[in-house]
Order: sequence, then C-alpha cells, then structure tokens
Amino acid sequence: MSDNGLSDTKPVLQNGLGRMDRRHLLKNSLALGGLVGMATTAARTTAAQTITTQGGRVPLMDRPFNLAPIRAHVDRIYDIKCCIRPFRTKGPRLDVEQIGDATVVHNYGHSGAGWSLSWGSADMQVQKAMSRAPKKIAVIGCGIIGITSAIMAQRAGAQVTIYTREVFHRTRSVRANGSWTPASHMALASEASANLGDIWERMTRMSWKNLRQFVGMAGNPVAFADHYYLSDTPFDAPTPAPPPSPVPIPQYYELGDRIGDITPTRQVLTQDLHPFPVKYAVRTTRMFFNFSEYGHVLMSSFYAAGGKLVMRDFHSPGELAHLPEKVIINCPGYAAHDWWKDTAMMPHRGQTEWLIPQPEVNYGLTYRNIEALSKSDGVMVIDTGIPGALPKGYGSSNEVPDRAEAERAVRVMEDLYSRFPANPV
Amino acid sequence: MRLKTILATGIAALALAAGIGAAQARISIWDGVYTDAQAERGHTLYMQSCSRCHGADLSGTFEIPPLVGRFMPYWSGSTLDALFDYVSTAMPLDHPGALGPSANADIVAFILKSNEIPPGSKELSADRAKTINFDSARQTAKRERKQQP
Repeated sequence: MSDNGLSDTKPVLQNGLGRMDRRHLLKNSLALGGLVGMATTAARTTAAQTITTQGGRVPLMDRPFNLAPIRAHVDRIYDIKCCIRPFRTKGPRLDVEQIGDATVVHNYGHSGAGWSLSWGSADMQVQKAMSRAPKKIAVIGCGIIGITSAIMAQRAGAQVTIYTREVFHRTRSVRANGSWTPASHMALASEASANLGDIWERMTRMSWKNLRQFVGMAGNPVAFADHYYLSDTPFDAPTPAPPPSPVPIPQYYELGDRIGDITPTRQVLTQDLHPFPVKYAVRTTRMFFNFSEYGHVLMSSFYAAGGKLVMRDFHSPGELAHLPEKVIINCPGYAAHDWWKDTAMMPHRGQTEWLIPQPEVNYGLTYRNIEALSKSDGVMVIDTGIPGALPKGYGSSNEVPDRAEAERAVRVMEDLYSRFPANPV
Repeated sequence: MRLKTILATGIAALALAAGIGAAQARISIWDGVYTDAQAERGHTLYMQSCSRCHGADLSGTFEIPPLVGRFMPYWSGSTLDALFDYVSTAMPLDHPGALGPSANADIVAFILKSNEIPPGSKELSADRAKTINFDSARQTAKRERKQQP
C-alpha cells in the first residue's frame, strides 16, 4: 500500500485526498496566478470518496488517454513574461470615492485572481456606478478588470470610454498565468474586512457564470484542461524545512469552504494508470484563459458596442475630475500603488516562461514546484516556489525577466520528460 | 476713507500675488529649466539606476514603458513636479525612493534632454518643478503664454 492508502499494484482511482495531501499540494501549487487549480479547492474538507472500480478495472471514462509529451528544452523558450500581481493586503478595493464632481468606483487589488474574479467584480462595481444613472462612464485601465468592467457597463446601457496607458495585450494582466485561480492570495488575514469571504464568493460565482459564455467559442478563449500533480515521493511525506525568510511569511485570509460545488474534485492515479515517470500522481481539471483569443473576443465586443479607447496616463487622482464622464470605474491594477498612493498595495513579482506552442498537448502538470500548462499561444512554465517559504516574488516589484530562472524551470520539465520510456506511451 | 484704502491695498496685493503665481505657472519645460551639466550627471545616474529596465536609449521594452515618444503626451498637461514626484517615490521600480532629491532632479533633467527639450542656465530642483508646466510642444507653450493676460 502506498502512503495514500491506495494499492500500488491494483489499478485504482480514488477521489479526494487526506488533509496532509491537500496541504502539500496547495503549497506545491503556488503559481503566478496564485494558488493555481488546487486553490479553488483549497478549503474543501469533504471526506475522500472512492470512484467505483469495476472488477479491478478503472472506468474507461477516467483513464488518461494519449498524453503527448511537452518538448521541454531551453532553446524552445520563445518568451519570458514578468509582471507584478496587484496584491492588496486589505483585499480588493471596491469602495466609492468622490473626486471633485466625479464619482469614482474603485475596482482593483484582486491579487492573482484578476482573471478569475473579473466578471463578478465588474458586476458589483458597475451596479454601484449605474446607481448614479450615468449615460456615460469612464473606465481607467484596460487590463482584465478594466475591459470586463467596460463591457459590463455597456451591457448596463452606458456609453463607455476606456482611458489607458497600455492596450490590452500589453497590460500586466496578459503577463500573468491566466488560470482559474479565484482564491489566490486575496488579503492578509490581519487586514481583511470581516465580510471579504462573502464578497469573494459572490464575485467568484458571478464570474463563473459569466465565463460560461466563452467556453466552446472558436479559438477556445476560455477552456478546461486536466492537470496532473506529480511527485517522486508521497504527497504527505515531510518536506525539507524551507530556507529562512528575511521577512515574516504572510498569513493569508482563509476563504473557507465556499465553492466546492463548482470545483472539480481530485483523483489519485496509481502508477500503472498514468504515463508519467513518477510514482505519485493526482489529477484534477482546471479552467484557463487563452490570452490571444479571449482578449480578441473582449476587445471586439467592446468596440462592437460603441466603446472608445483613449491612450492616456494619469498622475494624480485629481485629474479624474477633468474627464467629461462624471462616473468613473477605476481599474489601475498595481499602478494604484503610485498613482493613488495606496499603501496597501504590495508588489508580488511573477514570471512565466513560454515554450513554442504544442496544440497536441492538452493538459498541464506540476512537478518539483514547476508548473506547465499547454495553452493556445504556448506552453506556459512557471516556478511556483518552495513550499512553506516566503512566496516567490513577494514584496518584489522587479519586472525584468530572469532568463536563468526560466531555464531552471524548463530544465526540471526536461528532466521529467527525458525519463519517459524510449517508445511513445 | 481709511477702510477703503486698506481694502484697495489688499485687493492690489492679492492681484499682485495672483499675478506672480500666474507668472510662475507660465514657465514651461521649453524655457530652459535645467542645465547641460545637470543632464550629464543625470545621464550617469540613469545608466546606473534606470537603464536596466528602460534601456540605454530610453526606449523601454514590451513590458517597460519608454521615456521618449509617447512619454511626452502622457506627461503633458501637468506640472513637472508630477514627474519629479513619480520618479522620487516610485522609481527605481525594484527600490522605490532609493535616490535622493538631487539625483532625481538630475535624472529628470536627463529625461527632458533626451526628449529634445532645450537646456538653460539654471538647474532644475524639486521646488522649481512645481512652477514648471509640462507642455507637450514648444508651440503649445508659446500659444498658452500669448493667451495669458
């Protein structure tokens, strides 16, 4: 028997993991977007549930089929992206402020959950904006929070102008991981408001519903993929002590068990059930965003509804009072740190490396704290950091890509795939 | 009679103060607000602290904004202290506020020179920056001065 309580020889598929397993996987799933995939199930405490095996055979529907290998070589790195997550220690800023005769509805500070929470947050903030019954609305910023706020305001009947210093595909949003990670580091436990969990759940559920409209569209702007967590040692094995941290390790706000009903469960795969050259594997299914297609769909939708985009930078909040629109949805992301002098904004650097696209690869995996996910515009690879240590990039606002980090991450994947059998699996 | 004199004097003083304020606000970045020597010092500091991200030619990267080109319209319309404050508090991005006021003034001078804004005979300082308009073009500055009473 393995430490997971599963037979090592008999093909068995099991749902759910013990508490230790979950904790270990969570620590291994810290990624650019935050707690990728597993984070959505972070607080699930439901007991393990065994999937029915019939006569010792795994149901056909649950077997992994024809997994194409990722060609993980450093010479196939064709891009390295770097960004700063808009982590706000108090949680997302969603209040309303008056600047001169302009009403400013804030919508920023979603940490590594911007892609995931965007529609839900936009829905809440547009309702606040529309309560002033404006005909015209300005949106500041054209990252994922800004563009979804703009579209939501259009759907509410407003004429919308986006003021931005970067077009969508050059914003920090598009330098993120781009996975469904709604629970990614929403706030520090010591600074979050008491109702953050309720607000977060509402945003998450509203986003989930809104994202449905993009699933199955041409180009797969929003898609699902299986994700494999791989390990050479049992997931509940003790991990080495993390290196000492120069600053206190942040204690994040616990969101609780709230969205288990919309989160796929995890399945333990025994060694004879998966093709990977490791002893331990767990599979789940995750939603992710294909930046190019999703961005194109969003911008096309915005323009088709008569939206205008103005390239402009702002340097002080007072400048907003001079805009012709008197209701403004403020979506500056991390720029709020300097523009709005929001001292609760804490930089959190993240880097992803991108291998040449492999459309034949339709899954993702995490191994030795390195995560890979095949997307339409490349195979995304990210170093998720050492479990238990200070989160990788926390407190850093350095946005210069680190080639050495990229190569280290890809070489971990290269090592994994070089251990596959010589013949195709 | 005496009250009227006091009022008249007060009004005149206010008008004079307003006039001085307006005159100060009419200074433009195109009026020679830094020196060549200052920009040269700024160049050295820029290469040490800024070029790693923004590039030696200030052209930026895909991720890092340029400090030439669109830089001008993005900062125009404000006074120069907005740029000075941003450089002082937000830069360098990985060590915000690490440079002192004098070094930041020198760097701002270098950025102005790199955008073909002419030097003058007086060095730029944080205090002076508040009274200097960031006009996007020399013509704009001239036109606005002509329109002043």
